[in-house]
Amino acid sequence: MNRSAVCDRPDPAAFGQQNAVLAALAGVDDPEYPGVSIVELGLLEAVRVDGPRVEVDLVPTFSGCPALAFIAADAEAAVRAVDGVDDVTVRFVSTPVWGPERIAPGARVRIAADFAVAVAVPGRPTSCPVCGAAALVEESMFGPVRCRSIRRCRACGERIETIR
Amino acid sequence: MGRSWGSVAEFEGFLDAGGIVEPVDAMPDEYRQHVFRFIELHANSELMGGLTERDWIPKAPGLRRKLAVLAKTQDEIGHAHLLYMVAADLGVKTRVEMLEDLFANRGRFHNVFHYQAVTWADQVAIAYLVDAAALISQQAVFKNCSYGPYKRILRRIVAEEGFHMRHGEEMLLVFAEGTAVQREMFQAALDRWWWPTLHMFGPPSKPDDALLRWHIKSERNEDLRDKWVQKYATLLTGYGFVPPDPDLRRDPESGRWVTGEIDWAPLKATFANLGPDSARRVADAARHWNETRWVREALESVARRAA
Repeated sequence: MNRSAVCDRPDPAAFGQQNAVLAALAGVDDPEYPGVSIVELGLLEAVRVDGPRVEVDLVPTFSGCPALAFIAADAEAAVRAVDGVDDVTVRFVSTPVWGPERIAPGARVRIAADFAVAVAVPGRPTSCPVCGAAALVEESMFGPVRCRSIRRCRACGERIETIR
Repeated sequence: MGRSWGSVAEFEGFLDAGGIVEPVDAMPDEYRQHVFRFIELHANSELMGGLTERDWIPKAPGLRRKLAVLAKTQDEIGHAHLLYMVAADLGVKTRVEMLEDLFANRGRFHNVFHYQAVTWADQVAIAYLVDAAALISQQAVFKNCSYGPYKRILRRIVAEEGFHMRHGEEMLLVFAEGTAVQREMFQAALDRWWWPTLHMFGPPSKPDDALLRWHIKSERNEDLRDKWVQKYATLLTGYGFVPPDPDLRRDPESGRWVTGEIDWAPLKATFANLGPDSARRVADAARHWNETRWVREALESVARRAA
């Protein structure tokens, strides 16, 4: 997250409001991973609070992601419900580019446990969500969604969808 | 490394206690065959459904819908891809054998893909009604499915289908709140898709249904169908649409919907690939398979040279 954009308002009242908005966004689940919030997935890039006006910048996992309109609508509704907010703009920004390293470590564990989906973080071994072995080999570049490929675990044989 | 059981009775005891079977286990052959056929049917249906969806990519009204149809197509082809891998791991047929059976008209796929989607409202009816029916069935299988790899894939399919349903609901509202012409268009689509959707759950389950006994399915077809009817009869009539069943009524005492008698002949025709649009759909899928043969051959030859 771009801390300077998030924390560029030293005024204590605005800072409290900033936290309320962040808390509201932390309650918005990703449509494809119920129980995992868009903040944990690393979609939140910046929040700007100016009195009753709030601007939220989100980063899409993939630019053609079909869930973008739903995510924006859910985020907007959540922020609009915060006391003192009456104008919300949610937009998707094209930089920076989203990558799996933006997924919070705790969420990586839950995605593996709840959906049997692995998260491939560059420079780190990816372990099989079913048996735990670091033995995943790429089987198909394409899976059911653009942000996941299909790998196979050499240890247990399971086909593992992997967020890349 | 896998587990084995001394007798079928012992295996059934394991399943009844909530046991999960993994591919390495020495499962009884009858169980293997039933699981295989069930996953093959699901894989074929995802593939045929994906191809149907694909026909609407160029015709979807607006960029947003086009994006949604594109994503649904990829979802469904991707689900088929994963399911064929899991089915092939059971060692009954290879992936290519399953595909060639399907394209040679020897395979089976869900009844709803044996009909033609005539207008965009048909696509909306499919997204709103058929996807909801599929979700109800898949949730029930996921809940108690005894075959591990399939259960784990279903968990993700269920999450993704839930997302398709949001699209379906949103698109339905456009028709429900639209002009008289739009409302007529959706009513005509409902007339075409109501009965096939009821059929999709299958004829009433037999008391000795092997799929129930082996814990591949967990609920009887008629119970799942009833769940769908209770929800969608209420929603559709609430929007002022009329399901094409003159005997559909609400029981005054229980408040529950009761449908008229279901004619099973159209469903049986689709079992034999003799539905209204079966021949065209299978031929179309076979044509794609043949037209892309050179791609597979080229990739295989590259892989052979690298090996």
